[in-house]
Amino acid sequence: MADGAASPADDITRRAALVALFIGIAAIACGYAAAFSSGGTGAAWLLALGIPVALAAIMILGAARGRRGIGPLKLPFAFVALVLVIGFGAALALPATEGPLSTLWLGLPMRAAIVIYGVGLLPIIVLPIAYALTFESQTLSAEDVERVRALARENQAAIESGAREPMGNQRRG
Amino acid sequence: MIQTASVNALLQVALPNATRPAVVTVGILYFAVVLGISVWAARRTRTARDFFVAGKGIGLVALTVASVSVSVSGFAFIGGPGFIYAVGLGAMYIVLPAAVTNVMGAWVLAKRMRLLGEARALITIPDAIGARYRSRAAQGLSAVAILVGIVGYMATNALAMGVVINSIFGVGLGWGIWIGMGVTLAYSASGGILAGIYNDVFQGTLMALASVLVFIFVLQFGGGLGEISRTILAHEPAFLGPWGKLTPLAALSFFFVFSMGSLGQPQAVHKYYMLRDPLQLKWYPLLKTLGLVLVLLLYFSVGVGVKSFVLSGRLAPLASPDQATPALLLNVTPIILAALVFSGVAAATMSAANSFINIGAAVITHDLPIAFGRRVKNELRWGRAVTVLIAIAAAITAQRSGTMVAFLGIFGWGLFASTLVPALAVGLNWQGATRAGAMASIATGLIVTLALETTAYWKVFTFPAGVTASAVAMVSSFLVFFVVSWLTRRAAPAELDPDVRLVMEL
Repeated sequence: MADGAASPADDITRRAALVALFIGIAAIACGYAAAFSSGGTGAAWLLALGIPVALAAIMILGAARGRRGIGPLKLPFAFVALVLVIGFGAALALPATEGPLSTLWLGLPMRAAIVIYGVGLLPIIVLPIAYALTFESQTLSAEDVERVRALARENQAAIESGAREPMGNQRRG
Repeated sequence: MIQTASVNALLQVALPNATRPAVVTVGILYFAVVLGISVWAARRTRTARDFFVAGKGIGLVALTVASVSVSVSGFAFIGGPGFIYAVGLGAMYIVLPAAVTNVMGAWVLAKRMRLLGEARALITIPDAIGARYRSRAAQGLSAVAILVGIVGYMATNALAMGVVINSIFGVGLGWGIWIGMGVTLAYSASGGILAGIYNDVFQGTLMALASVLVFIFVLQFGGGLGEISRTILAHEPAFLGPWGKLTPLAALSFFFVFSMGSLGQPQAVHKYYMLRDPLQLKWYPLLKTLGLVLVLLLYFSVGVGVKSFVLSGRLAPLASPDQATPALLLNVTPIILAALVFSGVAAATMSAANSFINIGAAVITHDLPIAFGRRVKNELRWGRAVTVLIAIAAAITAQRSGTMVAFLGIFGWGLFASTLVPALAVGLNWQGATRAGAMASIATGLIVTLALETTAYWKVFTFPAGVTASAVAMVSSFLVFFVVSWLTRRAAPAELDPDVRLVMEL
């Protein structure tokens, strides 16, 4: 088993992420169902909450590493999920006051600025940097790559010696 | 014959004649560079692995620029700004997900796909699905789904190339299709993905350069974003509302489909196999996100800028929203900038077409034979032959059936998303996912997308405002994947090979 890895039953972070992903997708499904039945703001709120939950959950699912979970990535993931919820929520909840006398934030009226700069730009500043800074500890190290290559060499040797059949898509060389 | 209305519906644009000496000269230079790169790449392509995944791999910067190039289409330069012009900032929800999609793809897919490439020397997306679920049937089903999506994308891109080349050189739409497809085919068939990647690097650089220059020009011409906004707010304040003129549900649906759906786009996901050193993934999301932001500056600035210029009387009212980019380029900007952007649009369509041709050829010569328990003996030779056939079929379809192409072009993104995201993106990160769950999910995505798009296209019924077939299909596919995997959960442990398990645990 990989270093720090947990059995599927013990892998609490991934289980929680899966449950959250399911809930996020179910919320989006309910939003569409609501649009078919009544439409309106309720459906949009379900998407505004379901989308950030689903996106954060699938990122956590991908970043979780056995018992180590997501380690220091908790903060950036929480930050981005919050930015999305607040951005969509503010756009839905704040009154439409755009007009010739609107105060501009970096050239845009407030609600538009929240969406364009908040939802569209803040995650760019946070997520890729967090990914790069935690890459060796959380994502991939030279040792990880070597372990996969060693196992590949073992498999190849077993196939070439006739001890094992190649998978349908397992290529020689 | 292609009906004009159909072409317009498909491309959301009828490009005006842009034939000017500067535009033609830049266009000729562009094609000369593409052909030069192709000749160079053809000399380095000797095996099927060279042809489909660029042999021993591509460096970080080249792969990043190439990935940016295939991630945007001509829509980002022409249809997209027109869409903003028509509906306001609501159209931004198509591109806002770029803030999270690249790094999300890196966490969810890049590492595992790249390591699977190390473990098994895999070369296609269906390869990864076949390996994950130990299933030739799952590999075959995902290959069929990709092939269906590619048919639509290829015909669309063939037609788009025809429109752009006709606009630059004035050769007529039919000749435009065949010239564009001929050049793309020349480098696809001779140099495979290697030619595609290095042409993508050139094309992506061209697109980014054109986009940044247009962005700067629009801000200068408009007196800054604040002045542009003031003009719009004085006439159409709803345009700069957070949803523009769309309903909140419609805008959020765009965000959902273009964020979560990005994990199933084979033209982008396939690139993960090609990185020379897996440890270079460290900087891939940051570089790609920055590259995409540069390319998408034009999308925002032209859509908003042209609206302001028309409202203030500095630009004549547009015949249709789709004329936003051409009207700005041909009436306001220096002609050399127009030449760069028109070549950039040609680059975007050719880049996408090349990528889909290559993936389609791999599906036909590699994945489908494996699904039937067979192997093509000379994958390189057959890969080249199938590449030619796909290109010709796409060009003929584009030339003969505008209505059919318009229909096919609608559902490519949604079909890839609904068929591949649960089985691939979730499946590679959840050991409890099962073969039955994956196959049921892929089949659901395929059937629901085709059924809903077909009935909606022929107006058998209409969705409530804001609900799209792509979104409904993707949600259905996810739910089926979870439910069937849970029902068949006892089978899950037996469906993982040790090397795949290791890749999933790292």
